[in-house]
Amino acid sequence: MKSIREITKQRPWVPWVLFFVTTVVVFLIGLFASSIIERRSESKLYFQVVKEIAEWEPDNAVWGENYPREYDTYIATTDTTFASKHGGGATIDYLQKYPELVVLWAGYAFSSDYKQGRGHYHAIEDITNTLRTNYPQPATCWTCKSTDVPRLMDKMGIANFYRGKWQDLGKEVLNPIGCQDCHDPKTMDLRITRPALIEAYERSGRDINTATHQEMRSLVCAQCHVEYYFKGEGKYLTFPWDKGQTADSVEKYYNEVNHIDFIHALSKTPVLKAQHPDFEMFQTGIHGQRGVACADCHMPYRREGGIKFTDHKIQSPLNNISGSCQVCHRESEATLLKNVYDIQDNTEQIRRIAEKNHYIVHLGCKLAYDNGASDNEMNPIHQLIRSSQWHWDWVAAANSMGFHSPVESLRVLALSIQKAQEARLLLLEVLLTHNVKLPFTIPEIATKAEAMKLINLEIDRITGEKAAFLKDVSSTWKKK
Amino acid sequence: MKKILKIFFPPENWKTIVVILLGIFFGLGVFVLYISNAASYLSDEPKTCINCHVMYPQYASWEHSSHFRATNCNDCHVPHNNFVNKYYFKAKDGLRHSTMFTLRLEPQVIQIKEAGINVVQDNCKRCHSDMVSMVSLTEVTGKNYREGKGHRCWDCHREVPHGTVNSLSAYPSALVPRLSPVIPSWLSKARDKENTKSIQLKK
Repeated sequence: MKSIREITKQRPWVPWVLFFVTTVVVFLIGLFASSIIERRSESKLYFQVVKEIAEWEPDNAVWGENYPREYDTYIATTDTTFASKHGGGATIDYLQKYPELVVLWAGYAFSSDYKQGRGHYHAIEDITNTLRTNYPQPATCWTCKSTDVPRLMDKMGIANFYRGKWQDLGKEVLNPIGCQDCHDPKTMDLRITRPALIEAYERSGRDINTATHQEMRSLVCAQCHVEYYFKGEGKYLTFPWDKGQTADSVEKYYNEVNHIDFIHALSKTPVLKAQHPDFEMFQTGIHGQRGVACADCHMPYRREGGIKFTDHKIQSPLNNISGSCQVCHRESEATLLKNVYDIQDNTEQIRRIAEKNHYIVHLGCKLAYDNGASDNEMNPIHQLIRSSQWHWDWVAAANSMGFHSPVESLRVLALSIQKAQEARLLLLEVLLTHNVKLPFTIPEIATKAEAMKLINLEIDRITGEKAAFLKDVSSTWKKK
Repeated sequence: MKKILKIFFPPENWKTIVVILLGIFFGLGVFVLYISNAASYLSDEPKTCINCHVMYPQYASWEHSSHFRATNCNDCHVPHNNFVNKYYFKAKDGLRHSTMFTLRLEPQVIQIKEAGINVVQDNCKRCHSDMVSMVSLTEVTGKNYREGKGHRCWDCHREVPHGTVNSLSAYPSALVPRLSPVIPSWLSKARDKENTKSIQLKK
């Protein structure tokens, strides 16, 4: 065998061939490498972001340019035509439907106006229109209404945001609940944007960043659809979960921090008003226990031609039984609807008993005071009513009329009724000591107007003030 | 022997330059292996299958199916009768896929080929043998299918597990795991914020 040097000497073209072959091979490897890189970067374009979305972009329409299907279905939350037996996107005037509520909340803004909320798209309009915002409210009320909130919180600081007056931020809060509340603008991953949930997790020693994707599909909803209160003078939005998430453990927490939502105008009870503990309640139900997420039923997958995506028309699953329930349940729509209504009708029946009990007991307390009862005598009754009304409200304020967790709903209502009955027994003793003739008369109320008259609510004045406010103040808040 | 080896060795005064050139050559090779996630192809990790974005619809539909909890891609799509066959099939299939992908020959709707059908059919039975023992009597077996006499499981179970919508654009915003960037994290740390599930606001 000859050495290369010898070969080269004899055939000088050999090294040239080697040189060119190597050049071609390296060139091809280079081409291959850049092809891989090119196709890798294509995967980044997979989301087809037509337009970059800025970190605090509040305008849902801007997001919609990139995600037209999600945006179109989100816009469909404007729909107010669907009404199920107990819910849906149509407005229900609860005070008209259950006039006793007016009396249960006497002395509190809820006695003037309480309606079934419409779809997310109407959030800002609805909070502006409700008579409840006639009363002085903190800016905290905006927290769950708008995609402008995270931006404002970042600008003002969280505590500062809460501290302000509701009216003062009206000009800044323009875009209703939407994309940015739940999504990261860069990756579209689900993301928590409201500090209260993050803080509640931190206090219980958990890190929300370790949540799985399936958990996130409920947790983004739990930023708002939970029981909460405004803590202290700073009106700092706080979730009362430190002792647990059931009606009883939240009550224990409130008693410990001595939280009172309002003093009842008739009975002088220091009342706790429940918000909407949908997330807490849902977790105790069988769907929650089996790992179903809020989005599974309220935002099921949807098909449009050859494309499958998440329906962003967040609504009552009863408006889309085939997309929601029948993905898992094989029964007919009629059967499933009947099952839901049976649960809801039963819950409503028990709930009404609790409501009527409270109606009577509040009026009875007023009678006792009118006949000279002292706060000392009434205190044990107040404590019972506080607890019983809290339990009733835990179910009544939650959406779904018991469906999210039927057994838990009825358990909590049972406790409410039992405590209200105890209060009525104690009340009878007080009434007897003050020589009140029994049974005392309980006025019949059939309408909201009658109930408001009973508690001397000046509804005409409040309505007039609201009309003036809408005309002079909030009309200047509109988006230009 | 020595003479044969000698042919591969460059002359003394060329050695340095040849070593450098070989280094460049191998470096390029290693770079190609790195950017193509070559090592991942030895694993059973489903993320490997979406190294190419054309498999996103298959990944997304599998991830949202009941099979997500119990299977990975390879459980169904490569044979499990023996180790050699598994990797032989994987290599064969993978090389085909990478060639198609590199030459941009992938179709808009990816469909399974005959070889893949046989593998999947056998794998259905690998787990569900008890369940299908009665069904097999009515000729739903891989063997019968290959002989043109029987059916496949998914002739009836049409939605299992990828659904019936499979075009490249079927899941436009599916949240599938994305490729990790080529630039290592210690290098890009200063630039990118870490991905978290909650935002940090000023207190």
